[in-house]
Amino acid sequence: MDNNVKNIRVFFSKTGRAIYISHLDLYRLFQRSIKRAKLPVWETEGFNPHLYLTFALPLALGTAGLCESMDTRLTEDVSADELVRRFNEALPRDIRVTEVAEPVRKPTEIAFSEYEADFECDDAAFDAFLDAEHIPAEKKTKRGIAELDLKQHLTVLERRPGYLRFSLPSGTELNINAGLLFDAFEKISGTEIYSLHVTRTAVKCGDGEIFR
Amino acid sequence: MYKDKLDRILLKVQKPSRYIGGEPNSVEKPLENVKMRFAFCFPDTYDIGMSHLGMKILYSLMNEVPEYLCERVFMPLPDMEEQMRKNDILLYGLESLEPINTADIIGFTLQYELSFSNILAMLDLAGLPVFAKDRHSLTPIVCAGGPCCCNAEPIADFVDLCILGEGEEVNLELMRLLEQCKTEGADKHEFLVRASRIEGIYVPALYDVQYNDDCTIKSITPLEGAPAKVRKRIIADFDNTYYPETFVVPFSEIVHDRAVVEVLRGCIRGCRFCQAGYFYRPFREKTVDTIKRETVSVCETTGYDEVSLTSLSTSDHSEIEKMLACLADYSDAARVNLSLPSMRIDRFSEELLNRIKSVRKSGLTFAPEAGTQRLRDVINKNITEENIMNGCRIAFEGGYTAVKLYFMLGLPTETTEDIEGIAELCQRIIDMYYSLPSRPKGKGIKISVSLSTFIPKPFTPFQFEPQPTEDVIKERQKHLMEVINTKKVQVSRSHFDVTYLEAALARGDRRLSQVIYTAWKKGCKLDGWTEYYKYDKWMEAFKECGIDPAFYANRRREYDEILPWDHMDLLITKEFFVRENRRAHEAQTTPNCREKCAGCGVNVCTGKACF
Repeated sequence: MDNNVKNIRVFFSKTGRAIYISHLDLYRLFQRSIKRAKLPVWETEGFNPHLYLTFALPLALGTAGLCESMDTRLTEDVSADELVRRFNEALPRDIRVTEVAEPVRKPTEIAFSEYEADFECDDAAFDAFLDAEHIPAEKKTKRGIAELDLKQHLTVLERRPGYLRFSLPSGTELNINAGLLFDAFEKISGTEIYSLHVTRTAVKCGDGEIFR
Repeated sequence: MYKDKLDRILLKVQKPSRYIGGEPNSVEKPLENVKMRFAFCFPDTYDIGMSHLGMKILYSLMNEVPEYLCERVFMPLPDMEEQMRKNDILLYGLESLEPINTADIIGFTLQYELSFSNILAMLDLAGLPVFAKDRHSLTPIVCAGGPCCCNAEPIADFVDLCILGEGEEVNLELMRLLEQCKTEGADKHEFLVRASRIEGIYVPALYDVQYNDDCTIKSITPLEGAPAKVRKRIIADFDNTYYPETFVVPFSEIVHDRAVVEVLRGCIRGCRFCQAGYFYRPFREKTVDTIKRETVSVCETTGYDEVSLTSLSTSDHSEIEKMLACLADYSDAARVNLSLPSMRIDRFSEELLNRIKSVRKSGLTFAPEAGTQRLRDVINKNITEENIMNGCRIAFEGGYTAVKLYFMLGLPTETTEDIEGIAELCQRIIDMYYSLPSRPKGKGIKISVSLSTFIPKPFTPFQFEPQPTEDVIKERQKHLMEVINTKKVQVSRSHFDVTYLEAALARGDRRLSQVIYTAWKKGCKLDGWTEYYKYDKWMEAFKECGIDPAFYANRRREYDEILPWDHMDLLITKEFFVRENRRAHEAQTTPNCREKCAGCGVNVCTGKACF
């Protein structure tokens, strides 16, 4: 790798219509946006050169995110402010770059995410669901469907009718999609959740610090 | 606006980003500033429709007018349709997320006959009656454009009007007329009568069609001052015609996921089976400067890393080498790949090969169309065996070990010898490959033969010809499989079921509207998709309507028969098609337009020589 390249971490939000962009499509979207913005992003060397972009933590389809991040490398110096401006000119409205900075922590240090959800459902049933001793859920893995007890992993941070703030494990060790919690509720209670909006509000490392 | 309703269903469907809009470069206009709304419908899925160049051009063109909004609308797949119906969501435009039944014009682009049933499906999903006669208010006006409109008779009962030819100018004329009629408080009928005065506008309801006892057409009579012949619209100054600076870039991967620049329109070749070759006449090309400017613009504003130089026959551009050299300067520096579809094997050279080789090495595709010289002469392909061998040799010497060859089965005058000719030609290509000292070492050759079935189309010299019957086609397909005795050749063939319907619809008359309606009622839609195509239901529909598809697909027409599309004027005379048909039966070729004018008539209409 060239010595002059500089690692940067791009923080962005993904909300509104953009929550339907899959992780794979997000890569392509950033790649094309970088081309449109003519940003000096380093290309991999090899038979099939492509822009070097890596996303620390995929966001589930349908979940919004306020603190998503992507690591890349620049071949020329561009100020953080200018990068933010040029990214945002090229990106669709519902994806906004909020900050560009030098990476502080390693993506492997990510341990959990915090979410906010608002929804309509039978709130008494939802409270009972949260208070149960076990919250069995099914997680799709490469090897098939794995059973797990969400109760062991879920931390409720704030709860009021139609609203829940919570955290779940994220990262390389164990990654739990926030949607599992609501699927589990529908399955266990036999009732439906309406107008569910889930937003990832923070990504944190094992020591409780924000992933920077 | 359906945003909230969509939020409730989109996670339940496959690839939801195609149903929500908001892609880079898509148009945003607050509806309160919009005077006229045009819902541009592609009657197939997003992945296919978004790949279509005509839609990109006309979408951007109309949106240049500040008070007009052109929206994109596609056919949802069954999972999405089910969710929409369950949640009372009508078919909506991707720009406004508002239902299209409130648009002023709903326009369908018809690229292939198998999308006809989707028109009904989409109108119904929009909450509108499918028959034109049942839609009484002035708006929305339902119209259709695109190549299938050269014979729009099968869909005559569903659309209010058709646009014949190129839409760059006439679409806006139509919008202005409708805007005026709205202001004046005119009714739908008055609007249609006035629209029929615009060149290129065909209002089916203003023509009375009478039939003979044998079901052929007796007469086509224009009513209320509609023109006896509807004349196709063409853009006179193609080099200066509108071309979008940018395209909408989809979130998800679509069929042709790349930038596109149209380098020429029309075709000089005159292949006798090819409708597009006549529909898009006269031949017009853009200058190298224009092509370069448009290439840079679409690449830079989309961020695509591949640009396709598209047309019916790109290698026929008079300055192809200069064009490629000029574009290579840009594409190398910007790390953009050039791709050249529609390359003729006789125009293929080492230089061309090197230009496209800097790009990823996908397979090369050529279209000899027929296995013997005699049959290639019948269809006027104007390619010799030497051209084919030479083209393949250049490819092999350039490092390719796989070629794909297109052939058509069931062509007029075809014999067993022509079928065997395909196998023999493949064998000679294989032998040539192994005789090359410079062939890629240690690698075998692979020939993929793609065998489609001949479908006679209106406005071609073969419009009079029958499509061979099921028995004959299946027998010939079987015979070809028997005479190919090497694993180096792999054959894929089209399904008879699909080509038969396409043949019936392509040369159909108005009586087919009832068949299409009946088939749609039986659940037919997305007919271009193998997994959704219901041949049995279509055949049931024909039977219930008392109509035999063979009448349209397998019958030879006399030269003097009134054809269902005779009131359309594509600027090419019927005498020319008759003349070309006769020459075909004599295996006489006709030189390409650049070599010698064949007298099709288009230059008489435009008032100037094509070259």
